[in-house]
Amino acid sequence: MDRTLGGSFRFAPHLALLGALLASGLIGVCSPWIDPYYLDVMKTVGINVILAVSLNLVNGYTGQFSLGHAGFMAVGAYLSAAFTLFVAPHWLGPLGGGPFGQGLLFLTALLGGGLCAALAGLVVGVPSLRLKGDYLALVTLGFGEIIRVIFQNVDFLGGALGLNGIPAYTTIFWVLAFAAVTIFVVVCLVHSTYGRGFLATHDDEIAAEAIGLNTTHYKIVAFVVGAFFAGIAGGLYGHFKQTIAPVGFNFTKSIEIVVMVILGGMGNTPGVVLAAILLTLLPEVLRPVAEYRMILYSFLLIVLMIARPQGLFNFSYRRRKSA
Amino acid sequence: MTEFSQQLLNGLSLGAIYALLAIGYTMVYGVLRFINFAHSDVFMVGSFIGFYAAKVIPPGSPGGGLAILLVAMVGCALLGMAIERFAYRPLRKAPTLNVLITAIGVSLLLEYSGQKFFGAAPQRFPAVFPTREFQLGHLTISSNQVIVIAVTGGLIAALRWVVFRTRIGTAMRAVALNPQAAALVGINTDIVISFTFALGSALAGAGGILYALNYPSIDPLMGVMPGLKAFVAAVLGGIGSIPGAALGGLILGVVETFVGGSAWSTGKDAIAFAILIVILLFRPAGILGRMTVEKV
Amino acid sequence: MDPVLAPPAAIPLLSLDRVTIRFGGLTAVNSVDLTVGEGERVGLIGPNGAGKTTVFNLITGVYAPTNGIIRFRGQGLAGLRVDQIVARGIARTFQNIRLFAHLSVFDNVRVACNLHRGTNAAQTLVRLSAFRAEEAAIARRVDSLLEIFNLGRFRDAAACSLPYGEQRRLEIVRALATQPKLLLLDEPAAGMNAAEKIELVRLIQQIQRQFQLSILLVEHSMKVVMGVCQRIIVLDYGLKIAAGSPAAIQSDPKVIEAYLGEDHQKNVAHH
Repeated sequence: MDRTLGGSFRFAPHLALLGALLASGLIGVCSPWIDPYYLDVMKTVGINVILAVSLNLVNGYTGQFSLGHAGFMAVGAYLSAAFTLFVAPHWLGPLGGGPFGQGLLFLTALLGGGLCAALAGLVVGVPSLRLKGDYLALVTLGFGEIIRVIFQNVDFLGGALGLNGIPAYTTIFWVLAFAAVTIFVVVCLVHSTYGRGFLATHDDEIAAEAIGLNTTHYKIVAFVVGAFFAGIAGGLYGHFKQTIAPVGFNFTKSIEIVVMVILGGMGNTPGVVLAAILLTLLPEVLRPVAEYRMILYSFLLIVLMIARPQGLFNFSYRRRKSA
Repeated sequence: MTEFSQQLLNGLSLGAIYALLAIGYTMVYGVLRFINFAHSDVFMVGSFIGFYAAKVIPPGSPGGGLAILLVAMVGCALLGMAIERFAYRPLRKAPTLNVLITAIGVSLLLEYSGQKFFGAAPQRFPAVFPTREFQLGHLTISSNQVIVIAVTGGLIAALRWVVFRTRIGTAMRAVALNPQAAALVGINTDIVISFTFALGSALAGAGGILYALNYPSIDPLMGVMPGLKAFVAAVLGGIGSIPGAALGGLILGVVETFVGGSAWSTGKDAIAFAILIVILLFRPAGILGRMTVEKV
Repeated sequence: MDPVLAPPAAIPLLSLDRVTIRFGGLTAVNSVDLTVGEGERVGLIGPNGAGKTTVFNLITGVYAPTNGIIRFRGQGLAGLRVDQIVARGIARTFQNIRLFAHLSVFDNVRVACNLHRGTNAAQTLVRLSAFRAEEAAIARRVDSLLEIFNLGRFRDAAACSLPYGEQRRLEIVRALATQPKLLLLDEPAAGMNAAEKIELVRLIQQIQRQFQLSILLVEHSMKVVMGVCQRIIVLDYGLKIAAGSPAAIQSDPKVIEAYLGEDHQKNVAHH
């Protein structure tokens, strides 16, 4: 629960962000000396953190059950890759091929991808958000699948085989920096008088409207901001794995992200970050039992919902009344 | 014209299977107000039960085929009841979101267990019924299609009899309308819900066999797309309405087949989602459903 | 208790003009005329199912009337969303308390301050002095409201953990935070004992004076209605069957028949 603004919270978010960015920079500088395997794992963790924290704004805080987050990731991945593959080569000349030029290019690609994903979020969100619960989940699922099928049918973006040879611009610095930014944005948004509106919309939409909140506005903002960061994550992913295909952004991917949000405790950002880390590391740790990994994973999901629906990391739980 | 009739027949045959699956979704939604994501995987298990049963019961005769069908239906009914008992019943009072996620968990569990124990690679479903082809004018009708349509019709008729002419069927309708009132007049809602799952899952099992007859390549993930589409069919027809689910299934099957045979054939999977979105945005109650107003 | 006021000023604060709503075959509110003047305390009573909460829902924009016009401060409310109507100056409480159960008492009131917030969403990210000043001002306002209504000590508790009477009070405080000109109270005395009802009457009178607003009250407890209201309107089966001063209503035979019943004398003595 939030204490009043003022006091130690006044400057803390910006200082924390600055600190995180500096730390990311430091790790980035040290990266040549870090085992590439661990670097790769860290990058995957960071990308999942961005996905989970952004989805948490929609599902956790605002209570809108979205099952199509992977679709927005796809938009970001494809559009940023299209930029670096098809547009950027024309620009590289004047900008110079050095790290600064490359970094600027990558940032542009990422932000462009994010903005396109945000636009997709708006297009999906506006009509969908009048629906509730199950229906909203389905419509978002439907949109996620449609986005995937669209990319599957666009030949110059690789069709069913996807895009290859995407330049490896994603460094550990970019991943950690954007993860920090995502957490910063979500936390700052929610912990404000304005941001209490997200929670109010979740808790009781009718009461929220009765005190003058435009609940549609909150749902759309959550959706669009969530989609933006999913797009950023997609762009980071594409320039990390260097290859993207529609099949990697399907319903299963959306579910994986949802599981992180639930495991972390919906509306609990630190918990969700921990859950993203845990669920990314778990497959690595479970390599010995890799065959049974997914079976355990799904079993865990069932048990969790029955035994501890508030998530593993949520310690300030108050029992919710049934819907 | 013959092209049209042929496609229509193919579409109805596919639609019949969607109808069977859709009815299962709609029945569970009717009594529990939630979408059983695991239903599509029960369908898949039905196909595999048939696959393994065919190793014991010699396929290729009508009797054998029927036996395999029955075994699959019973097996799936039991599976459905077990899922309800162990995964959903503990969450009877929880927010719908939690149950939805549990359903997703069960679905994943079935899929991954299937991959582990049945093998992830597609396997060939044997011809459990004797296959023949008929010519009706220019129309080519396969015996499997006839079986699909006949069995579906028979099952729906049997279901209708159960729902309207038996006590348990009346109890099901009561629980769907108002669970608290049903409990107050002495209906054991637990038994009714179990029974609903058993029926819906049995239909899914039948659907699994019938689907595998026409599309003999089966694998543990085969239920995902048909399941999603059947769900769209249930919403299209009006979620909670059994005739609606049947109607929605038929419409979707026909539309999908026609799209598949047209210029936009790659969009045939997406057409179901497009229909879903259009329905949810413009008429969420579906064709035969009723809009409900929330009391403030 | 105040004497009956002279007829309301030329343009009443709120006016319902032949307002009707039909749900399928049921006419829940049937051609009802109603006005609330500036600074007035009006009661809306009637048996269960008479349509009182429906009238509230019509005023606040939850339902759109099938016929008739609702005006607030002279302007029609047709087509406005619920939150837009709140912005015009009408706030309400609910028959079954609708607090934000999982937010703190403080946050429940704070979130209602969004209506008059000057800074925008982007400023939550940048947090320059304008944002911080406004957040601090909002915090002070919320705290002072909580103090006035004796909820200060529950400030950081979850709203759902409050005792029932405090929850009702919190819901009223939350509504007040939107700075309304008209406050609709839907059965605020439900579940209260005699002492609490006396306190409620005092509270409503205090609110009306201190915040200079008008009150439209739906209530079953005659004691509270008589204690608070200057004018009463009676509904039965969606129709307005009587209107007037409390004394006039108490002796109106139509009202007695429909609502107060033959044991009217006994009821008045007990309540």
